[in-house]
Amino acid sequence: MFFIGFFGLAAVWFGIVVFRTFSMVRSALALLFSQTALGAMFLSMQAEFLGVLQIMMMATEMSIMAIFMVMFMMDPGGLGEMDMTHQKRLSLGAGIVSFVAAVAVAVFVDWGPVATVVPDAAQQTIDLGLELLGRSMLIFETAGITILTAMIAATAVAIQPGANSTTSHRRRPVSTNNPLDSGMRRNDER
Amino acid sequence: MSIELLLALITGAALFGVGVYGALSQTNLVMIMMGVELMLAGAMVNLVAFWRYLHPDNPAGQMFVLIIMTVMAIEMAVGFGVAIARFRAKGSVEMEEAAELKG
Amino acid sequence: MNLITVAILAPLSTAVLILLLRRLPATLALLGIAIGLLASIGLLANAFNGITNEIILPGLPDLPLRLVATPLTALLSTLVAVVCNLVMIYAVGYMKLDGEKLRFFATLLLFAAAMQTLVLAGDWILLLAAWELIGLSSYLLIGFWYRRPGVTSAATRAFLYTRSADLGLYIAVFILIASAGSSDIATTLNTGGGTAVVAGLLLLVAAMGKSAQTPLHDWLQRAMAGPTPVSALLHSATLVAAGAILLIRTAPMLPPDTLLVIGIVGGITTVVTGLIALGERDLKRLLAASTSSQYGLMLVAVGAGVPLAALLHLIAHAAIKSSLFLGAGVFQHSRDGTAFTQLEGAGRDQPHCFFGFALAALALAGIPPLSGFFSKDAIIAASLASPNALMLTTFALAGTLLTGAYMARALHILWRGNSQKHDIVGLGWMGAGLAGLVTLAVILGAAFPSLETLLNESLSGNTLAQVLGLSAALSGLTLGWFIPMQRLLGPLLPWAQRGFAIAGGVDTWVVRPAFAIARSCEQLERGLYAAVLGVGRLGLGIGRAVRYSDERGIDGLIFSLVRGTVELGSRARALQSGLIHREMAITVVGTALILATLLVALLI
Repeated sequence: MFFIGFFGLAAVWFGIVVFRTFSMVRSALALLFSQTALGAMFLSMQAEFLGVLQIMMMATEMSIMAIFMVMFMMDPGGLGEMDMTHQKRLSLGAGIVSFVAAVAVAVFVDWGPVATVVPDAAQQTIDLGLELLGRSMLIFETAGITILTAMIAATAVAIQPGANSTTSHRRRPVSTNNPLDSGMRRNDER
Repeated sequence: MSIELLLALITGAALFGVGVYGALSQTNLVMIMMGVELMLAGAMVNLVAFWRYLHPDNPAGQMFVLIIMTVMAIEMAVGFGVAIARFRAKGSVEMEEAAELKG
Repeated sequence: MNLITVAILAPLSTAVLILLLRRLPATLALLGIAIGLLASIGLLANAFNGITNEIILPGLPDLPLRLVATPLTALLSTLVAVVCNLVMIYAVGYMKLDGEKLRFFATLLLFAAAMQTLVLAGDWILLLAAWELIGLSSYLLIGFWYRRPGVTSAATRAFLYTRSADLGLYIAVFILIASAGSSDIATTLNTGGGTAVVAGLLLLVAAMGKSAQTPLHDWLQRAMAGPTPVSALLHSATLVAAGAILLIRTAPMLPPDTLLVIGIVGGITTVVTGLIALGERDLKRLLAASTSSQYGLMLVAVGAGVPLAALLHLIAHAAIKSSLFLGAGVFQHSRDGTAFTQLEGAGRDQPHCFFGFALAALALAGIPPLSGFFSKDAIIAASLASPNALMLTTFALAGTLLTGAYMARALHILWRGNSQKHDIVGLGWMGAGLAGLVTLAVILGAAFPSLETLLNESLSGNTLAQVLGLSAALSGLTLGWFIPMQRLLGPLLPWAQRGFAIAGGVDTWVVRPAFAIARSCEQLERGLYAAVLGVGRLGLGIGRAVRYSDERGIDGLIFSLVRGTVELGSRARALQSGLIHREMAITVVGTALILATLLVALLI
């Protein structure tokens, strides 16, 4: 119970920190810590497989996020202390209201008797594996296909228009000032 | 009614609330995505708590967590794809400047 | 081929031929009319031999069209043909300088054909048709010089006068056919009683119109606007004669009361128009008035119950009056007009013509042994023998006296004065026609006995009548020659010169009421027109209202709906800022609202 409360508090704290710093890197790291705290919370709730999975996945994800942060933000260190928020009051209100509502639901709903005995980690994993390849196989496979689709779609969206002409482009002297739109010049070449 | 379940649920609610705040208040696309991640994380905590304290015998609860993780991954992938395209076109991912979809 | 068809079709086909060929109108016309004459003479010869030619043509159901050549109709047909021939010969000379010979001769031939049809018609329907054709062709001929002032109005007047009187014929024919059940003239002549009285009076109205009897005598004098051959033809054997012929043919049917009315009408006409003729200042108008007067005499004879006397006078008058007109035409060409002031001494220009003219005039006056003497004598004898001897004889004698007077006056004016020699184009043709007719006028009297035998009737000779008639004619001639017209007429002069228009004459009694009726009809028409227009406008108004309600109502509803939707859309558009955080805020708020609603629903 203590661990659950501790890690939950840590997760929430780091979640708040995500939006409190001016540094993108620190935000990403705070999110990473928050998710890791969640993973630890899963572990303390005897969901070992999920906890480990959470920690590993989120570590990867957040590292990627941090890298992108550095790439997109000209000021990854947050030295400029620029305000990157808007409609603060509405956001705050919405956050508090959703929090209060969820808590109210959690408190006022009668959840029934609480199970005390939980299958051990190996059994859980076996059950989960059987579940995934048995009853919920369609959902699982759909999720996999969806991820694949999302990856292809993300690549298609992110790819530079006319990127395949960069090879020929590299052999010639670049005549434009902006390398980002050099691909658009393909039609002007002799 | 166990105190652990309540704690977990409150944690989920708090994460969700923080996520809502972040998603609404941030101007940077990546930061908005972080808010969304937090909201999903809140949902995930709830699912794990429900599985653990209400139906530990049913592995479907864990399966839902996996689905949420999938969704997070997808969100990341698509979000970063869009962010890259946006950055390449405009040089920034500030969402205040992105009003092309205005009706 | 039957002679009847030849008699009718020869002029008609020639008319068509003239219009088709468009050349040699005079030659063709002479040819056609001569063939017609031969056919008519053939018919007459057949009649003398006791053969009756008849053609029955398919007409209305149960009312076949008939053409019959009885002795009477054959005689009339011959008369028409002869006069037409001689007038045609004259017309060749008369129209020599006219530019529209084609139209003239074609119409004249049509006229002749129509008249032949009329006299030969054996049933009422064909007679009606021919009657109408005569009216039409006379209208065309009187209005032949339609470019001259007053001609059109004269033609229209003649047409309308005769037409309105024709209504009498129409009604009479309907009555006769309805009562007899047949359109055959011979059959209907057997009707008697009230029907005969009514029909006879209606026929009299028609005859009055066509024969220009008082009070419908006005149009005839105005019809002098036409070419002189036309006048000659109209007055002698065709249009005007049609009225008298109608009465002569129906005389056997007419009851005594109707006969008396006919006699009175004829008597009044002969006196009134005789006075008018005496007061005339124009030769042709004088002759026209004289025509009315002579037809009045014929009606007196019919009224006296001796249609044969009327027929003989008709025949004699046909020859006489055409020769008079033809002579007048010569004088007209000689002096370029027919007013007496222009014509003074014209007789001396053309002594031969004047001789013929004088012979005809004396014949008309009734001087033996000229034809007029015998016919007039017959009329006076008939009136003496009739039940109303006193009145009819007075009328007849007065008519004879007046005839002598105005003819003597005309001769006097033509002879007195100075000669002015003019060359007249076509005098040979005119002279030939005139000579032929004058010869007829002179010698026809000799043919009367054979005509009497032909018609199986005889006239009772009466010495008293001869003495009375001759003395009246002679005194009339003496008066007319020696005493100026002004003194002769005395206070009647202005009346006579105004055509005895009693209190405005026909103009007041017929024309004004007719105009008033016409005007009220027009007003009614205008009212109806306005009503119809009003209905139309009402329809338009309803249409406009419907359109308005459509446009403003239904269309407006639809448009306001569309506008509302568009407005709503543009308002919703404002929500679509395109900014992610706004959209997300809206999403959150919306979700919260939905959840709140669900919660409330759950709690309630």
